[in-house]
Amino acid sequence: MRQIHLQSELAPYLRGDLSAAERECVARHLEGCARCRADADAFAAMLKTVALESAAIPEPDWSDYRAELYRKIAARRAATHTPVHARWWSPRLAWTSIAAAGAAVGAIVLVLTLGPRPEPGGAPPVEQLAMEDAIGAADVGLLRDYPVVEHLDLLENYDVIEHLDELTPADTINEKRS
Amino acid sequence: MVVQSDEELCRKVAEHDAAAFEALLGRHQARAFRLACSILGSEADARDVSQDAFIRLFESAGKFDGRSRFSTWFYRIVVNLCIDHKRRNKWWRRMVPFSNPDDDPDLPPVDPPSSEPGPEAAAIGAQAGRRLRVALEGLSPTQRAAVLLQTDEDLSGREIAEILECSESTARVHIHRALTHLKKTMKED
Repeated sequence: MRQIHLQSELAPYLRGDLSAAERECVARHLEGCARCRADADAFAAMLKTVALESAAIPEPDWSDYRAELYRKIAARRAATHTPVHARWWSPRLAWTSIAAAGAAVGAIVLVLTLGPRPEPGGAPPVEQLAMEDAIGAADVGLLRDYPVVEHLDLLENYDVIEHLDELTPADTINEKRS
Repeated sequence: MVVQSDEELCRKVAEHDAAAFEALLGRHQARAFRLACSILGSEADARDVSQDAFIRLFESAGKFDGRSRFSTWFYRIVVNLCIDHKRRNKWWRRMVPFSNPDDDPDLPPVDPPSSEPGPEAAAIGAQAGRRLRVALEGLSPTQRAAVLLQTDEDLSGREIAEILECSESTARVHIHRALTHLKKTMKED
């Protein structure tokens, strides 16, 4: 038959941390189990060694320790009470900046995607008009160089122009003479 | 003069009573430092971490609800800070192995401060201390805290369980595993 060992009960047993019933149970087990008895002895020695080692830890200079502690507390309080505008950086400021930058990028994307677009048959964009004006101005400059432009009044008689094909050469000459 | 309990003093600290904080500091500084030093294995780290625990006490005394003893609540802060500290520095400790001036075999053993034991006993004691420190290094922070709370603070299993925020049976298992590991490691050495 397999024996059940009460391993995790040994340390509380040694400290006197068990109830009367549990203590009785462990004591009875230890009487009949050499392995657990050896473990209990080893654990008791180990607990004693650890306690002695901890007791040997040198203590710091307590006045230094306390002075340093109060300096740390004062520094933390000063940091907590510094107004946000006095600090060049703060988590709140960083998050606000990131949110503002994100909103700006979003607005630009929105305008570019949903904003008014030039329709195929609609008015040309402003840049195109400006370019056409420049070309037109250049044409006018060229026309000024032609001698015929100086006599444009000849073309002001629109009736004649409309019936040019009906005129005989003689009519044209008479017209000119009159 | 009526001696005020830790719990009363803590309530006063929550009301920004500097004298109450000073009194609690005086009562618990040595135990907090020693416990932190035992868990962390470094006096400098123990100094920082135990001071951090007192800063927490100063700033959060109002969170003590009085359902447990003040010492249980306060040592939970100390132990949690130690465990956090160990976990944070775990990667660094892998790069730089745990070392102690006593570990150098070329250096003569350092005598303990007490003049009672003779030189031979002192050397044996120093050697045992070194072996124990190495063995303690192999424990998890929780196991180490569990065994040290029993040995240093003489706390019951129920109190250790409260500090470690686990069941009493889990606390017993932590202590048992810690002792088994220490026994095995010390035997191997």
